[in-house]
Amino acid sequence: MTIGSAGSSVVVPRNFRLLEELERGEKGIGDGSVSYGMDDSDDIYMRSWTGTIIGPHNSVHEGRIYQLKLFCDKDYPEKPPTVRFHTRVNMTCVNPESGMVEPKKFGMLVNWQREYTMEDILTQLRKEMAAPHNRKLVQPPEGTYF
Amino acid sequence: MANSNLPRRIIKETQRLLSEPAPGISASPSEENMRYFNVMVLGPSQSPYEGGVFKLELFLPEEYPMAPPKLGRICLDILKDKWSPALQIRTVLLSIQALLSAPNPDDPLSENVAKHWKSNEVEAVETAKEWTRLYATGA
Repeated sequence: MTIGSAGSSVVVPRNFRLLEELERGEKGIGDGSVSYGMDDSDDIYMRSWTGTIIGPHNSVHEGRIYQLKLFCDKDYPEKPPTVRFHTRVNMTCVNPESGMVEPKKFGMLVNWQREYTMEDILTQLRKEMAAPHNRKLVQPPEGTYF
Repeated sequence: MANSNLPRRIIKETQRLLSEPAPGISASPSEENMRYFNVMVLGPSQSPYEGGVFKLELFLPEEYPMAPPKLGRICLDILKDKWSPALQIRTVLLSIQALLSAPNPDDPLSENVAKHWKSNEVEAVETAKEWTRLYATGA
C-alpha cells in the first residue's frame, strides 16, 4: 500500500495524510519490527508521534528496542518531520549529544519526497542500523536515554 | 498539477455547492487543490450547538465517488459501509448537520463523551453548549 499515491495527480492534504498514517499505525505494520503511534489524541494537528524500532539481526542492535520521537509540523509532508532518538544509540547519522537524526547524514530526510511516510523513515533507519558502517559500533548501555 | 484531470462529477458538484449552498452549510474548494474543501456548518437551532460555527476539512480521495469523501474522524455510517456513489458531498454535509441535531451516543468516537451523554444527558448538553460558546463562536 502506498499512502502518498505516487504518480497520481491527487494530492492528499496534510491532515488526511496523517489520519491515513494514524490508521495504518493502529492496525500494525508488517512483522512489527517498526511501529508508531500518535502521542496526544487531543492535538488536532497530530504533530507529535512516538516510533519504535526493534534492532535488526546480525548487528549490535539485535534484541534492543529503540524509541524515537517524530514531530510533524504544519508543513508536513511537504517538509520531513524532525526525528530524534529517545533511546540512546550510536549511529553515524545520529547526533551523539541530542539523539537528533541529522538530515545531512540521512539521505531520506535531506532528499525528502512528499510520498515518504513515518513508516518509511523508521524502516530506513532500521536498515541503516544493519549497514556495514553502523552494525558493529559500540553501543551505550541498554535502557539509557538522551 | 493537483487540479489536472478533475473528474466532471466533482466539477459539477462543486459548482452546485457554490451556486446553491444548503442552508447553514458552506463548502469551498481550496485553490491549490480542488479536492480539498473548507467547510463551515452552522449549529442547528434548538440544538446545544446553536450559535456555533463548526469548521471541517473535506477531501475527495482518488477513488471518489466510488469511495466516500474523507472528513477527519466522524462516526457516520454513510462515510463508511453505507456509502453509495449516488450520495454527494452535499448529502454528507447535511447528514453531519443532522448529527448535530441528534447526536448518536450509540456510535461514538469518544467513549467518554458518549458515557456522559447516556448517564446524564442534561449535564452533557450543558457541556456541549459551553464548548460551543468557548470554541465555536469565533469570539
